[in-house]
Amino acid sequence: MVLSEFAGVSMPDWIDALLRIMFIVALMTIMAFALIYLERKILARFQARVGPTRTGPIGTLQSIADALKLITKEDVRPITADRWAFELAPYMAFVPVFLVFVPMPFTETWFVRDLNLGLLFVFGVLGLNIVGVVMAAWGSDNKYALLGGVRAAAQAISYEIPMLLIVVALVMVAAGRLAVDGDASAAGSINAIVGDQTTTPYILLQPLGFFIFIVGMLAELHRPPFDMPIAESEVVGGYFVEYSGMRWGMFFLAEYTALFLLVVLASSLFLGGWNWPFGADVGLGLQIVLTFVKTSVLIVLVIGSRALFPRLRIDQLMAFSWKVLLPFSIVQVIANGIILAYGGADWVVGLVSFALLAALGGLVFYIMRRKQGEGTRTVQTTPATPRVITAPEVTPVEAGGD
Amino acid sequence: MEDGVTATQVVFWILAVVMLISAIGVVTVGNIVYAALFFIASLAGVAGIYLILTVEFIALVQLLIYGSAVVILILFALMLTRARERPQALFGRSRPLGIAAALGLLAALIGGIVATTWTTPESSSAIQPVGLQAIGDAIFTIWIVPFIIVGVLLSIALDGAIMLASPDEDDN
Repeated sequence: MVLSEFAGVSMPDWIDALLRIMFIVALMTIMAFALIYLERKILARFQARVGPTRTGPIGTLQSIADALKLITKEDVRPITADRWAFELAPYMAFVPVFLVFVPMPFTETWFVRDLNLGLLFVFGVLGLNIVGVVMAAWGSDNKYALLGGVRAAAQAISYEIPMLLIVVALVMVAAGRLAVDGDASAAGSINAIVGDQTTTPYILLQPLGFFIFIVGMLAELHRPPFDMPIAESEVVGGYFVEYSGMRWGMFFLAEYTALFLLVVLASSLFLGGWNWPFGADVGLGLQIVLTFVKTSVLIVLVIGSRALFPRLRIDQLMAFSWKVLLPFSIVQVIANGIILAYGGADWVVGLVSFALLAALGGLVFYIMRRKQGEGTRTVQTTPATPRVITAPEVTPVEAGGD
Repeated sequence: MEDGVTATQVVFWILAVVMLISAIGVVTVGNIVYAALFFIASLAGVAGIYLILTVEFIALVQLLIYGSAVVILILFALMLTRARERPQALFGRSRPLGIAAALGLLAALIGGIVATTWTTPESSSAIQPVGLQAIGDAIFTIWIVPFIIVGVLLSIALDGAIMLASPDEDDN
């Protein structure tokens, strides 16, 4: 839709497809540059620094300089690395993320394709990303890379499940609402879901869904506090430790593009995408601005969480997914099913979801308090959370002193 | 569309060649991780075929399920074998058994294909794509019993895996 509307001429399919692909690549690169710059600036503010200032006005050209450096840098392959897996891995990690652009709605009419199964497409294709990560990890012939890759695989598979289930719960609500207009089967299309949120953003109907989606998103993207696969202090960068030059840059580009796309997806699914809040359409037609405002809020949230939260341990991460998020998302699906089957109103759906979110928050708070008071946990390797170290270590020292 | 080579046919043949080469690769390369990677290429080809047949749902499920499955397969290969140190032996003592099983499967498949009476629709517009809702209706109404049985079976397998993997309580 995008390009033929702009150009106003009819063109052969293959030229149209080519133009769409070029548009995606350009947008993706610009977004990655902007995100890297923003992340450095915001993080610097959190840490009482100023961040990049020298390159261009207030450092805005820093990402371009970094990209130039990466392109001109020598591309080194370790002599013991597996040639094919090592060289193909960046593409395998990159292409799926690239494809996820296809069903993303930026405005009501600006998207590459409105897929009827857009949501399933996003998760089905994005899941292939992890194959590239594992290829890189195995192909590098490096212990740290392998450890990082195995962690990434475990993490991706664990967090995919609650995330998918919570999207199922969301689609159930969307289908129920769309069925009023007669076409419930459109609920798999991201466009239809955004189109339904003119008056009520789904974050009000599914607050638990929003929370689990954001947490799962952080884990899928290996963002702090879930960055064990690429933790510099533990596995020195993880699966891309042996990469340099442009191949490393491709992993980086894939990571930031995935961040941008998942944030756009989150804002489309839960915050109403291009819609004005609560149906207050003032008729300015600023859909693209609205999308980017909502996206930016989430991006600042994601970047801020890197500065605000300490890194979890890998076992805490897995336990949180399997023992907390997964049961809650299953309960959410069942609750939605029961409510919708008996024709419950929207506010019932929202209230139940909010109650579940409150229960989840209470549970996490309770677990943290209990761990804090317990004092039996031995600190083995890296201090994961500050509160674990404080109390328990005092006793053995005193006993030894006597 | 009707005369000459259509774009669909070109895509089909490309996919078919990719699928065949990678399927042969799965069983002939000595390196088990390569075999797993060839496997996902082959499965992606199958997903492409599903796309040509306009069953997008099955194509996407194919990617979603097997993408994760192959990663787990690679992890098993890494943890349970020494893939990097020496190439795996392709043939063992059970070679005749394997050949017999493969030939039997081939015969069954060919027999099935030959025995089926294939109906050809008059035109491509006669093929109606199956909607997502139709699939959901079919699974949750007509085929609900097999669906539940599969679910129970998978839960049993999962519980068994957890039982085997979890350390004994009195070990530490």
